[in-house]
Amino acid sequence: MLRVSSQNEGFNANLKAVTSENEDSGVLHSNLLRKLTESTILRRWDELDDLRKEAIDKLGVQATIDALSVASGFNGITRVADATGIPIDPYEDELGSYMRSGIGVNAFHYSEKSARYG
Amino acid sequence: MYAESQYPIRSALRESHESVWRRIAETGSYWSGVDRVAMVHEARASLSCRLCQSRAKALSPNAVSGSHDAASNLPPLAVDLIHRIRTDPGRYTKTVFDRFCKEYSTGQYVEIVSVVATSVIVDTMHSSLGLPPPELGPPDPTHPRKNEPALVEEGGAWLPLAQQDQKRSDLGFRRVPNILRAMGSVPSAVSLFFTCFRNHYSMMGVSLNLLESQCEFIAARVSALNQCFY
Repeated sequence: MLRVSSQNEGFNANLKAVTSENEDSGVLHSNLLRKLTESTILRRWDELDDLRKEAIDKLGVQATIDALSVASGFNGITRVADATGIPIDPYEDELGSYMRSGIGVNAFHYSEKSARYG
Repeated sequence: MYAESQYPIRSALRESHESVWRRIAETGSYWSGVDRVAMVHEARASLSCRLCQSRAKALSPNAVSGSHDAASNLPPLAVDLIHRIRTDPGRYTKTVFDRFCKEYSTGQYVEIVSVVATSVIVDTMHSSLGLPPPELGPPDPTHPRKNEPALVEEGGAWLPLAQQDQKRSDLGFRRVPNILRAMGSVPSAVSLFFTCFRNHYSMMGVSLNLLESQCEFIAARVSALNQCFY
């Protein structure tokens, strides 16, 4: 979805930036969005207080709250996926093979986790 | 809800959170309102659970045994899966699902997943704004029916998925994505979760002050942090 949305906006996002902070995604303000997201998901609330202020200065207050909202929503929906073992969608095979190849999870299936963690 | 926020909260988001919070305290198809409220308390308690903290440091969470610091009278198997979903979703495996469903129904399982995942969204949003987690209303003690009709089919997941042709995809895909079908064996669980989630994602028709690529970057980063490969 990141690849498609970036192409719709006229550029190709660097998908490696999803898993590597040393890469530039090309997404506007992605470094700040990355920090906001990580502080939210990793529950680093003191750090988030400062980042929220910085984001409001740079992105505006509504965009900052919307960013926190997207992160909160996906913090929930990833748990639904992980707890139900759903397979990747067929069309995701088309859309996402490039991305999964880029971030190294191309052949993933939830049974892999059972094999690894019991 | 969000009355103390110093930031603007979109009315649709606030209303949906208030709605799901009321619904969690009501008796569901497989668990009473008392149990469902207890699930939220249990999910919150997991964040300071010593067993969960020990497991987080281990190579495999299943290498560490012991008792959770429980905050409810829910059955131990329910407590265990709630703590795992909340604290270590990236290493959650079918073993946990199988162990629970040996003694309980998949309907009971799905309803727990829905309530916990919904509470994660509401609690994360509050914390991200510097707000305390919201209180739940008085729980309904009525016993559940332990039954809810659903149209499901096998789809390669751990449990049956909602039938593919049951409804049109809201996201413009050719097929309904599996994530929308995942809890299809309990339609009320689907409704609870997506009533909450849909206001958090621009792909579900919600207008946000972010570029699509910014939303997707955040979504992808959360998935990576939670080790969710779907």
